[in-house]
Amino acid sequence: MEKKYGVYICKGCEIADTVEIEKLEEVAAKEKQIPVCKTHDALCSPEGLDLIKNDISGEGVNTVVVAACSPRVKYKEFSFNGSIVERINLREFVAWTQEPKTEDTQALAEDYMRMGITKAQHTELPEPFMLEEIDKAVLVVGGGITGMTSALGAAEAGYNVILVEKQAELGGWAAKMHKQLPQSYPFESIEEPTIKATIDKVTSHSNIKVYTSSEIEKIAGFPGQYDVSIKTNGGPEQAKAGAVIMAAGWRPYDANKLEHLGYGTNPNVITNVQMEEIASSGKIIRPSDGREAKKVAFIQCAGSRDPGHLPYCSSYCCLTSLKQAKYVREKNPDAMAYILYKDMRTPGQYELFYKSMQNDPGVMLTKGEVTGVSEASDGNLYVDLKDTFLGENIRIEADMVVLATGMVPNTKIDAEVLAEWKTKFDEELKASGGKPDPNAPLEPHKVPNILNLEYKQGPELPVLDEAYGFNESNYICFQYETRRTGIYTAGSVRQPMHMLGSIEDALGASLKAIQCIEATAKGFSVHPRAWDQTYPEVNLQKCTSCKRCTEECPFGAIEEDEKGTPFHKMSRCRRCGTCLGSCPERVINFKDFSIGMMSSMFKAMDVPDEGLRLIGLVCENDAYPALDAAAINREKWSNAIRFIPVRCLGNLNLAWIADALSSGIDGMVLIGCKFGENYQCHFVKGSELANERLGKLQETLGRLQLEPERVELIQLSIQDYDKLPEILAEYVEKLEEMEPNPFKEF
Amino acid sequence: MADATVVKPDLDFVKGVIAAGGESLKKCYQCATCTVVCNVTPDKNPFPRKEMVWAQWGLKEKFKGNPDVWLCHQCNDCSSYCPRGAKPGEVLGAIRKQTIKQYSAPGVLVDLVNNKKFWPLIVAVPAVLLAVLLSAAGTFGIPEGEVIFSKFASTHFIQFVFTPALIFGVAVGILGMKKFWADMKQANGVYSGDLKGSVTETLKEVAGHQKFKSCGVSADRFTSHFLVFYSFIALGIATALGVLYIDILGMESPFRLGYGTPVKLFGNIGAIALIAGILLMMNSRFKNAEKLGVGSYFDWLLIGIIGTVALSGFLAQLMRIAGVAPLAYPIYFIHLVFVFSLFIYLPFSKLAHIFYRGAAMCFLKYSGREAEQAVVQPEAKTEIPAASGPETGESAGEAGQAETKQE
Repeated sequence: MEKKYGVYICKGCEIADTVEIEKLEEVAAKEKQIPVCKTHDALCSPEGLDLIKNDISGEGVNTVVVAACSPRVKYKEFSFNGSIVERINLREFVAWTQEPKTEDTQALAEDYMRMGITKAQHTELPEPFMLEEIDKAVLVVGGGITGMTSALGAAEAGYNVILVEKQAELGGWAAKMHKQLPQSYPFESIEEPTIKATIDKVTSHSNIKVYTSSEIEKIAGFPGQYDVSIKTNGGPEQAKAGAVIMAAGWRPYDANKLEHLGYGTNPNVITNVQMEEIASSGKIIRPSDGREAKKVAFIQCAGSRDPGHLPYCSSYCCLTSLKQAKYVREKNPDAMAYILYKDMRTPGQYELFYKSMQNDPGVMLTKGEVTGVSEASDGNLYVDLKDTFLGENIRIEADMVVLATGMVPNTKIDAEVLAEWKTKFDEELKASGGKPDPNAPLEPHKVPNILNLEYKQGPELPVLDEAYGFNESNYICFQYETRRTGIYTAGSVRQPMHMLGSIEDALGASLKAIQCIEATAKGFSVHPRAWDQTYPEVNLQKCTSCKRCTEECPFGAIEEDEKGTPFHKMSRCRRCGTCLGSCPERVINFKDFSIGMMSSMFKAMDVPDEGLRLIGLVCENDAYPALDAAAINREKWSNAIRFIPVRCLGNLNLAWIADALSSGIDGMVLIGCKFGENYQCHFVKGSELANERLGKLQETLGRLQLEPERVELIQLSIQDYDKLPEILAEYVEKLEEMEPNPFKEF
Repeated sequence: MADATVVKPDLDFVKGVIAAGGESLKKCYQCATCTVVCNVTPDKNPFPRKEMVWAQWGLKEKFKGNPDVWLCHQCNDCSSYCPRGAKPGEVLGAIRKQTIKQYSAPGVLVDLVNNKKFWPLIVAVPAVLLAVLLSAAGTFGIPEGEVIFSKFASTHFIQFVFTPALIFGVAVGILGMKKFWADMKQANGVYSGDLKGSVTETLKEVAGHQKFKSCGVSADRFTSHFLVFYSFIALGIATALGVLYIDILGMESPFRLGYGTPVKLFGNIGAIALIAGILLMMNSRFKNAEKLGVGSYFDWLLIGIIGTVALSGFLAQLMRIAGVAPLAYPIYFIHLVFVFSLFIYLPFSKLAHIFYRGAAMCFLKYSGREAEQAVVQPEAKTEIPAASGPETGESAGEAGQAETKQE
């Protein structure tokens, strides 16, 4: 494509009050020789947009540089089909944050113009990466309420579904219930289970193929082209899928560990799972003597919210006990249910169910810490409580005690099993000659035998330290995402939840799976760069097969062939550009983002002999919005720093530092996410990788005889935007104390 | 756990409180907002949250000899601030009713007064009884000539029928009160104190209605109860004058203008104040019904009886003056029936609070519990100096008699 440039400068939103617009025009027209260069009072107005559109249609402009506001706003207005668009942030980075009409402010704005135009000059229109074939089926692992709902969701939307269930029957826990919680307003009375109807719908749906008594042997491939090996009763089966939903569910916490609550020592201490069985078979009779239990005590948080057991709240147990209290009351109006809780937690609309149960005179709800369960006469039990509302310790006698145990995700394995597995893993590693690396950026996750992914980073989905073994997303706002592109989790394997929550979750995951399949088919990236059609392009002739990119890719998108040459499984790639930063040979680039582009932008800056010139590389996901937020609040910062957004700090290529400092720039500040896997990095650990690379900085800068302190990495949490001016001021002050960069004179 | 209180929830007690007007009891989730906003609770072991907890759990034993529920004047600040609509004011009222039930005898009358379905009997029994007695006296019917009520029911008839009724009511009340007092002493482990001083202080407090003044939401309850209370006293004075004229000075009713003027004055002021007070009470209950509850059958029964007593007494007087005999005598009969009811139901109806609240208020001073209270006067309220005048609770009962006698 032969590029024809147009530069458009907006005078609105205080820009014209802060800088000399004519001089900016001169930079574009004279310095950069841009043929079309125009200004407007409000570029985002219909008239302003028409100005650009007319040039596109009339003058043949196809590369539009908009010098106005932050690219994070007005992106719909400033998007022109078929044209390259580059945004220069004069409003937030100059007009709102700098002293008006000073020489330094003008110089800053002019540098932003030079850098923006340079960037446009190095940008090409993307040509999307297309898979030759796409399998649009959705693989659902787990046939409980979540898995079945996901399957129905995708099937109803017209997609084929492969549903794999380990047990002989579909239905999971929902099929074991006597009755179910209310599923709709007014959320007051318990219902006959509807799971049977769901099972029938799934088994009779023409788009759904169900495998029961089956497990996943292996999932190879990538989004759009997964090869699934299924181990069934009748032998191995093969299937193809485009995306995967993992809904492996949960199991109750092992009540044998709750001896202090009388489990195992007194037969009349049972779990909430046993209570469902008892209720299903008729009257509420207690195990010891088959007598009807008329005073049933429910102990909430049995082994939950307890550092010695499950440290978390499972969010369903309070509701289940309320439901089971209803069994007790419905089956015998003279019976009483005592619910002994730490805190009553009934998420969402279930507050209404709680209220209706609370109104039943035969349901006694009280707060307290259960200190023990002991035997009374006649097979009865005493439950002792402290910290009660009476302000004294109390003892309650009950015929039967039900322990409301919490949820453990099926992906979590017990410590003993894990130890065994680990030994085996280490042995295998030893036998294969590989050395376990404690500092490996991505340790294989040690959860056995659910997905069996053929993946560099291990066979199962990784979990966060703070997620207690649940497959919780590391994206704060995107619950179904996992660190394996195209594989989504839903239901209680992701987070403890009740049935209604699982149903909602399941449908959300269906949509994510469909989205992934369709995005892959059109050559788009998936979340979080869902608009992106660029992809990493590798100049293999210059590749030395050093494997850094394959090691560092957070999504397992780069693998090696037999000769050790890396190749991308492109639909796994999320376009974060970590590989671009990792490559010492600088052979990985994107159509709109490359090593050379960045170096050219540094060089485009005007570096005078006197005066500090600094570059700020900022993560576009969090640090850049933090700068925008500070600007909206009219915070001021130094005019010495020129900010450039990067996809992730993991993009940092050490070549950039060498290039920048050798062209006379005094220093570089890198602002990215906080370290640690539980923080918000959209690409797992980009800023940590950047920090590791900076470890080699000494070597790079030593050659140039420059102080490594000129480069600083700052970890920023997005909500700390108001601290940014101070952080930047400290950095600038440090640089001011240093000698100017000796390379300025060259 | 050696030091634990063994909790034995009693489902029937819970159901009883609910049936007695505490329908909202179970809505409480024990946040203690009620206790925080209450202006009359002591700081130590404050109420009404703990009472809500006991009642929800059916801890019947805890209420035995509990004076705190009587500290509550049902001003309903708690109910209006309750985030759950649990109406602690109503619940405590229901619990007080349970207390009255517990200490009163005979059971037949307890049931008659407490059970909604018996309401026609409440009026029918005294009506039939009085009709029979009047027939026996030979005066049942509409007499000829000038309307003079003693022609229908003679002064002696009134004295022989109504005095025993009142004595019955007061005696049963006092017996219950004594049992309650003993239970309070035992439950609170208080066996000695300044009884005389406590009684005096209680009487002063009752006369001044101080507790009502600390109410926030339904401040008009002060006015209505004050009116009703002092109207009973005014009617009591009128009765005393009647006794003076008839039994000591040997005069005959009806009292004519001149020497009769003080009787008329006290009687009519009392009657008008009583009607006004009762109307205010009704109005306040309807006005705040949604948030505070309209009240129980038990509440309305007493309002109904007193209201009818006042209205029928006043109307009977008007009809007498107008000389409309066919209306005057039947209305007077209704008046007699309701006054009689008021007396015999005294220890069973809500009016029994004279005994139990009186005893509880006295006990709180006697035991020193009240001293634990840091009285917070609500804002925008000026302190009204306590009115003096030692009037016992029972005087209200006598006041009722006054009206009967005055005509």
